[in-house]
Amino acid sequence: MERQIRVFDPTITPKEQALRYAPRPTSLRGKKVGLVENTKYNSDKLLLKIGKILQDEYGVQGMLLRRKRSSGVPAHEEIIRDILAECDVVIAGVGD
Amino acid sequence: MSSANLHSQAYEVSDTAEAIEFYYEKGWTDGLPVIPPTEASIRAMLDASGLEPGREIAFIENRQVSVTAEKVAINAVMAGCKPEYMPVVVAAVEAIGDPLYGYHGPAASTGGSAVLMLVNGPLARELEINCGDNLFGPGWRANATIGRAVRLIMRNAIGTLPGKLDRSTLGHPGKYTYCIAENEAESPWPPVHVERGFRPEQNAVTVFAALAPHQIGNQLSNTAAGVLTTMADSMRISGSVTGQPQYAVVIAGEHMRVIGDDGWSKADIKGFLFEHTYNSIAHLKRTNRMPGTVLLEDETTMRPLVQTPEDIIVIAAGSKAGVFSAFIPGWGGKNASQSVTKEIRRP
Repeated sequence: MERQIRVFDPTITPKEQALRYAPRPTSLRGKKVGLVENTKYNSDKLLLKIGKILQDEYGVQGMLLRRKRSSGVPAHEEIIRDILAECDVVIAGVGD
Repeated sequence: MSSANLHSQAYEVSDTAEAIEFYYEKGWTDGLPVIPPTEASIRAMLDASGLEPGREIAFIENRQVSVTAEKVAINAVMAGCKPEYMPVVVAAVEAIGDPLYGYHGPAASTGGSAVLMLVNGPLARELEINCGDNLFGPGWRANATIGRAVRLIMRNAIGTLPGKLDRSTLGHPGKYTYCIAENEAESPWPPVHVERGFRPEQNAVTVFAALAPHQIGNQLSNTAAGVLTTMADSMRISGSVTGQPQYAVVIAGEHMRVIGDDGWSKADIKGFLFEHTYNSIAHLKRTNRMPGTVLLEDETTMRPLVQTPEDIIVIAAGSKAGVFSAFIPGWGGKNASQSVTKEIRRP
């Protein structure tokens, strides 16, 4: 049958990006952990509990808790600046 | 008129009916049939906006997607837009790409919002964007297709697919289309775009990550304070309550006249609603909207519904008849998403 109509693709295929993870320390002993809290209820409690386990069982030396402006946005510049300046590792995540 | 090549992949089909089914099979529709986009119809859209196909309209950071004029045009054709609607669609896409709107949150959230589009300026009347009867309902091509085009762009170009990157628990019907104009001809107040720094003769679109409209009725009052007391009482516990999003308040004909005749400005309306929508911490705790046990001081500690009176967007629109108005809670909180107004530019 003769083809009669040419129609066009409405989609965009996102460019593939290579994700690069920060280098992992071989040990947490003596390290300071940044905790990025996402503002949801109890997220601070959960992160502090994780931080305490890291202190008690893995020798972490200190914690820095920072709160995002909202769960729906990335961590803002001050958080990233403080953590870069003070911390060796960081725990972040979104959860309810 | 642009002669630049289109970059999108083309497919050949035998007729319109086959094309419609093809777009369904590809997962490129919102559930309704689409208009098959041909080169001529796509070029008509581009020409109406004076844009080259490769021009970037928005860059969506979290998806690393550059939304080009060509993709906006293709989806606008599919939605059923006339070419003269294209500049409105383009401005709305620019607006949802603005960092203040914060695309990712309202698009992906389980809290499920739609993009409310408010069109201001003489173009709204020229394009016959409805600002009157059945404001949020069907019956007007411009309202139906401009909002639909933006949703199709979100779906097809940005990948905001229900159940995948759109995780709305409930969603709402505004996700098919959610586009209105302000009744500037009869409003006693300056239109929203003028409040935001544009001249009355400029055209602008405001996007707002919005939940569904909530209708309120008041047929007893003939005073501004009376009507708005009902509005405030209905608004007080609505939306995310504690998230402090922005709100839109749509004041329709009879209420518009009552409030306007009392000499109240938009600032008066916003101030009154702000002052009358506080909740006590005690109430928020008792109703499980805030954690913790109720303390004595919680009974007298009050929390505003929105951060400032300016976070209430007052829109004059809706039918002349009837004693109904509406409020529309925004998605989440203002810290994550704000309404954004962009100029609509025509060549």
